[in-house]
Amino acid sequence: MDEDFSSSSSSRQHFHSHGAAVQPPTSSVATAPTPPLSTSSTAAGAAHALFEPADLSFPPDLNLDFSSPASSSGGGAASSAAVGGGGGGRWASQLLLECARAVAARDSQRVQQLMWMLNELASPYGDVEQKLASYFLQGLFARLTASGPRTLRTLAAASDRNTSFDSTRRTALRFQELSPWSSFGHVAANGAILESFLEAAAASSEPQRFHILDLSNTFCTQWPTLLEALATRSADDTPHLSITTVVSAAPSAPTAAVQRVMREIGQRMEKFARLMGVPFSFRAVHHAGDLAELDLDALDLRDGGATTAVAVNCVNSLRGVVPGGARRRDAFTSSLRRLDPRVVTVVEEEADLVASDPDASEEGGDTEAAFLKVFGEGLRFFSAYMDSLEESFPKTSNERLALERGAGRAIVDLVSCPASESMERRETAAAWARRMRSAGFSPVAFSEDVADDVRSLLRRYREGWSMRDACLDDSAAGAGVFLAWKEQPLVWASAWRP
Amino acid sequence: MMLSDLSSDHEATGSSSHGGDIASYALSPLFLARAASATAPPQPEAARAAGAKRKRSQPGNPDPGAEVIALSPRTLVATNRFVCEICNKGFQRDQNLQLHRRGHNLPWKLRQRSLPSGAGSRQGDAAATPRKRVYVCPEPTCVHHDPARALGDLTGIKKHFSRKHGEKRWRCERCGKRYAVQSDWKAHVKGCGTREYCCDCGILFTRKDSLLTHRAFCDALAEESARLLAAAASNGSAITTTTNSSNGNGNGSSDLLFSSSFTAPLFLPLPNPPPPAAGAQQNPNAFYFLHQEQQQQLAPFLQPRMVQPSPYLDLHADAAAIATAGGGGIVADTAVSFGLAPDGSVALRGGHRRLTRDFLGVDGGGHQVEELQLPLYATAAAAAVPRAASCATDLTRQCLGERLPPVNETWSHNF
Repeated sequence: MDEDFSSSSSSRQHFHSHGAAVQPPTSSVATAPTPPLSTSSTAAGAAHALFEPADLSFPPDLNLDFSSPASSSGGGAASSAAVGGGGGGRWASQLLLECARAVAARDSQRVQQLMWMLNELASPYGDVEQKLASYFLQGLFARLTASGPRTLRTLAAASDRNTSFDSTRRTALRFQELSPWSSFGHVAANGAILESFLEAAAASSEPQRFHILDLSNTFCTQWPTLLEALATRSADDTPHLSITTVVSAAPSAPTAAVQRVMREIGQRMEKFARLMGVPFSFRAVHHAGDLAELDLDALDLRDGGATTAVAVNCVNSLRGVVPGGARRRDAFTSSLRRLDPRVVTVVEEEADLVASDPDASEEGGDTEAAFLKVFGEGLRFFSAYMDSLEESFPKTSNERLALERGAGRAIVDLVSCPASESMERRETAAAWARRMRSAGFSPVAFSEDVADDVRSLLRRYREGWSMRDACLDDSAAGAGVFLAWKEQPLVWASAWRP
Repeated sequence: MMLSDLSSDHEATGSSSHGGDIASYALSPLFLARAASATAPPQPEAARAAGAKRKRSQPGNPDPGAEVIALSPRTLVATNRFVCEICNKGFQRDQNLQLHRRGHNLPWKLRQRSLPSGAGSRQGDAAATPRKRVYVCPEPTCVHHDPARALGDLTGIKKHFSRKHGEKRWRCERCGKRYAVQSDWKAHVKGCGTREYCCDCGILFTRKDSLLTHRAFCDALAEESARLLAAAASNGSAITTTTNSSNGNGNGSSDLLFSSSFTAPLFLPLPNPPPPAAGAQQNPNAFYFLHQEQQQQLAPFLQPRMVQPSPYLDLHADAAAIATAGGGGIVADTAVSFGLAPDGSVALRGGHRRLTRDFLGVDGGGHQVEELQLPLYATAAAAAVPRAASCATDLTRQCLGERLPPVNETWSHNF
């Protein structure tokens, strides 16, 4: 994982110290079959791989401000600070954007200059700026060397080696304890699901069975509180609950380890449900690849009976449907509609990472303009993410490192892998809302009780987090609520009903 | 319903100058008629059978000769119905209003319930010797709507109605829990946030949801259930076999536990990590819980379905043994529920509560990534356990020796 990266960085340092005379062995990497670089005229003349000492001079047009860290007032969250002194302290964003522009413009000399600078300043163990620089640089490098998918596989394999039930549990629970990022969506979704189930139970006189189709990546940490609420709410006859969790193997997520983890999780959930006194059954389905290919009908959600109330819980999973031709995401939401669930809860991260027209042909996702847009938006989103992680976790934390590395893999995916294989292409809430509507769903507002629960949840965390309703002027048109970090909306939670 | 309105007036106009006496006289035939139909022998055992959940005896098994009163929902919810005519100040009770009237130099009269001994001489004013009054809930779907299950206290029926059928207007700021009755809310707010939740593995939490999520995935849960299943499989007779496996103390004490002798619990709490404050309280609490037959689950805050979600229990348990979640409470609980288990799941549920978690925490304590808990944990470990437990822990240390290094490793990663 880090081996690829560090070897390249050390080679760059060789470039610097040895100057023009030496031909470092890894030079071939830089001139590797990347069309953009090789067509650059400036590099063609000299020995391609070498950095002339003159080339390494500080690019005069950059005016970086290294003063205060990200909390400066003027910077705001946008990383589109113009060259020439934008928001103070956000040097990583500036440099990275410049570098991305240079990559898009195929200006290899400038690319090399900037990447060298970034490499000097970046570190995955430093402050937020250094981390951003480090992970995005890794992505850019993978892009330039056309080794995106390979890099991703290497990173995933490395992470797989280090993953176990224990580490996953620790990371997930610690994250939820220190940051409302995932618990926000969980609380809102649980509230909506519980209310709709209880409504169903009250409306019918026969014993109800509930089935939740759980498409999520949070390892069932959402369900214990729901189980407890179900047990206490209906004291006399707790309805039977089944949960079918579908774990889709993203290219950036480890797979064999995930299977082991889910097995363990399943056992624990069952025991916990026994403890709570809730009749329960659990099933984990491992689905390789794109969710759109999942055969929903084969899952037998109704347990053969007709009185089962079904809820679909999509937490961070809709973006796993690969964007691309044939309107795949719309098709997926339509297939959800065909299940006739009582409620569908959607929790997604708010970022516009699809190429300009996701439903157009697949090549559209890889143009330079699309790349720049995705890069800029990804930079904004992940800056906020890393910033919130930095402020929530203690200084040295294995869990935060694991989360950051996960983000790093997502960044490599976004920056260097084609959109047609990517499962990280988030969309904005407005876009998802549009898709849900066109699939035949209408939004269900969260009840006052649920909203209160979310607010009191946020109060338990540090300053900086806030909740915002989706207003009518966004095209999300009032569906759902946002979790915002320093006024920037980052996570969106909503509930839908046919 | 006219009857209930009449009866409410009967309650309300006690202080008016025409005197409740007259009103009660006039109403008495109606009451008698009503009460007669209601005095069909109540079947307390039927009520118990219906509740087949081993709850403690159901509230509302009234005296068969009591007078049944049905109040309207409006009456039940109304606060401050007794209003002073001078200053418009409202009071909950007639008595309070009377005392207030003294301040205005108005005529006042305190109505007293006649004592049984004095009743004979005052036959005239009440229908008979004032009969005990019981109240039914106006909500037809409610269990207490049936006069056989009426509640005996006016305040009680009012609170019941609000709690069960009323709108919950009071909300705790910290945790968002909602209450219909203000006194319930106040009681909760006093304790919320100050109460710590403790997992069996010894880690303390300030938030219930953190505890729940942790508990679901805690190693302690998995191991206990596994062990319990094993014990259950080898059934009752296994009680005495002390399978002192490498899990040492764990099995030993659990088997002691399953033996029906209630003295066993005395030893059991000890190996447990005594929550920092409650070390000395273990034994008294063990007894306390021993006396309660149907015990709710370990963490009073976790309310499994077998328990009536009654606020009484909540407050009770909280007051008594908040922090001894890991301690005494479980003990009797387990013992009882194991014996009485109507179905397998209950037995499992009861028994998981393990005391066998030595404080080093088989795994549970290994990764003390919770830096918050670290100091507590250290003190718990240090304060450890008196008497019999010390040898248990030594035994555990030996047996689990190889598991100790992880504790150090994790620490070194973190610091």
